[in-house]
Amino acid sequence: MPFATEAVVLGLSTGPACVAFCGPVLAPLLAAEGRTLRGASARLAAFLGGRLVGYLMFAAAAWALGAAIPLHPGPRALLSGAMHLLIAGMLAFAALPRRKPAPCAHGCAGCPHEAGERFRTAGPALLGLATGINLCPPFVAAALRASESGSLAGALLFFTLFFAGTSVWFVPAAGLGLLGKLGPAVTIARIAMAVMAAWYAYLGLFGILGGLIHA
Amino acid sequence: MPSQAKPPGRSAGKSILLTLPVLLWSLIIFSRSMLVKGAAPKIAALLTLVFMVTLFFLMVRTRETYRWRRIFFVTLGVLFPIGFIAQLLAMRGSMSISMEKMIAGDTPFCFMVIPMVLIPAALTRTVIFPGSILPSASNPHAIAAMIALWLGATIVLGKGWCSYGCFFGGIEEGFAAVARKARIKKIDERWRWVPWGVLVAIVLLSLATFEPTYCSWLCPFKTVTEFAEVRSLETAVQTGIFLSLFFGLVVVLPWLTKKRAQCAFFCPFGAFQSLFNKINVFEIRIDRKKCTDCISCRRSCPTMALTEASVTEGKTLITCMKCGACVDVCHKDAALWHIKGTEFGKAPERARLLYLYAAWLFATMFGGTIIAGGIQTLIQFAA
Repeated sequence: MPFATEAVVLGLSTGPACVAFCGPVLAPLLAAEGRTLRGASARLAAFLGGRLVGYLMFAAAAWALGAAIPLHPGPRALLSGAMHLLIAGMLAFAALPRRKPAPCAHGCAGCPHEAGERFRTAGPALLGLATGINLCPPFVAAALRASESGSLAGALLFFTLFFAGTSVWFVPAAGLGLLGKLGPAVTIARIAMAVMAAWYAYLGLFGILGGLIHA
Repeated sequence: MPSQAKPPGRSAGKSILLTLPVLLWSLIIFSRSMLVKGAAPKIAALLTLVFMVTLFFLMVRTRETYRWRRIFFVTLGVLFPIGFIAQLLAMRGSMSISMEKMIAGDTPFCFMVIPMVLIPAALTRTVIFPGSILPSASNPHAIAAMIALWLGATIVLGKGWCSYGCFFGGIEEGFAAVARKARIKKIDERWRWVPWGVLVAIVLLSLATFEPTYCSWLCPFKTVTEFAEVRSLETAVQTGIFLSLFFGLVVVLPWLTKKRAQCAFFCPFGAFQSLFNKINVFEIRIDRKKCTDCISCRRSCPTMALTEASVTEGKTLITCMKCGACVDVCHKDAALWHIKGTEFGKAPERARLLYLYAAWLFATMFGGTIIAGGIQTLIQFAA
């Protein structure tokens, strides 16, 4: 099978697993922050964009260092732990109830200077980046194959096509934005994010602890 | 406005006649234990039979549901752990289960797992629980049996499962009954969304990790049933969480609030079970013509399933577990049992009785068997 086709097929075949791994982060985020189908689509695009950047960064590292190094138990646990802590922090922030912002000192409507508004724009992208570097099984499979490519461009292309294959499975998630119209759905999604934040914080702390022990 | 008196209790003769189907059912259920060798099973079965039939008779005779149901439910909550723990000790010599035994499928399947296994099972035909599908000698509490039992009861009772089937609910209802007055009276209504948030979280995490996250991390009732052997930092953390949640949500908060705090503010299974109230034919409604907005129904509800808005609309919330507390406490007879599709307010007592038959037949078969097991354990222990 040609290298490019293999990347797309790998992405398509492991996409459901990627959705399952990213679901705990993405689903409540879209339900809480999406509000409309359009808003949710924009946030999903930001999340996927962040995820692509994460993939490409890892592809570059995998190619430059060889897959064996970033996938070594010690660094792998440290990297995963750090990403999990980042996810936990952002989910905890997203779970906080939003107060109606005070009138903006800059005089702008829908103020981008307000912390909550800034999170609604940048948060999904950062969460996408953090989950993108999360070493789930499909990702590890792709990393191993990408590291076998002859060049950095090849590794980047492999990960881009792999990403495109997996992303097809994420498209229906934009529909979760419609839930945001229901008042309780937003509250429920925020509570779910708080539970997830505790879970990822635990994973992060134990990941870093494990990584330090291995190192 | 003069207070309208509740209808008087039924005559003894009529009450006995209405209790006969339950007596017959109880005889069928407990006759098997009467044939078992030894005195303990026979005495336990006989006591349970008398207990269940008497309570039903009192429900019919007094036209009250809640206080008699509570006696059954708290008894179930007390005796379930006794029987279950005794069984574990007899089989394994410990309440803890080792990883080897868990992998071998020796973990009894609890209904709490159901919301977590459905999506992975639908997508991958895999049950993400280390139990056996069919009953075996080492594990009679198999997955298929529990799901079939839950499904049948759920179709008939809706969220009534939480009032008649959930052996865990009885424990906190007991602690809620201990205090004479609630020490915490004002509870923010937003807390009632927490079970739904926990449900969303555990379903998504279970799909991501392919393990029943709630059982591994959040189930307060591990404290009185079975838990993983503490062999690592992770299992120590898990055990700490189970203990904290149990004492916080099942002991302390019910005592302080006189509510079923774990059910109302945490239990994801309860939230999941609420969805089935939509398809269940039995419900409780408020007659707005009779209601004086005295809020005694809202105060009496153990799970905050009545709010100002819902009472104004003449409804309970989807989370109503049909315990009957609001109906019993309403002096104006404004809170009424109702069967969907029938004229509201025409025959509420008939609706109550039909619901009670369904609920009590299930309670006798499921809870009654558990109670008999607990009594048998106590008799054997005393002997």
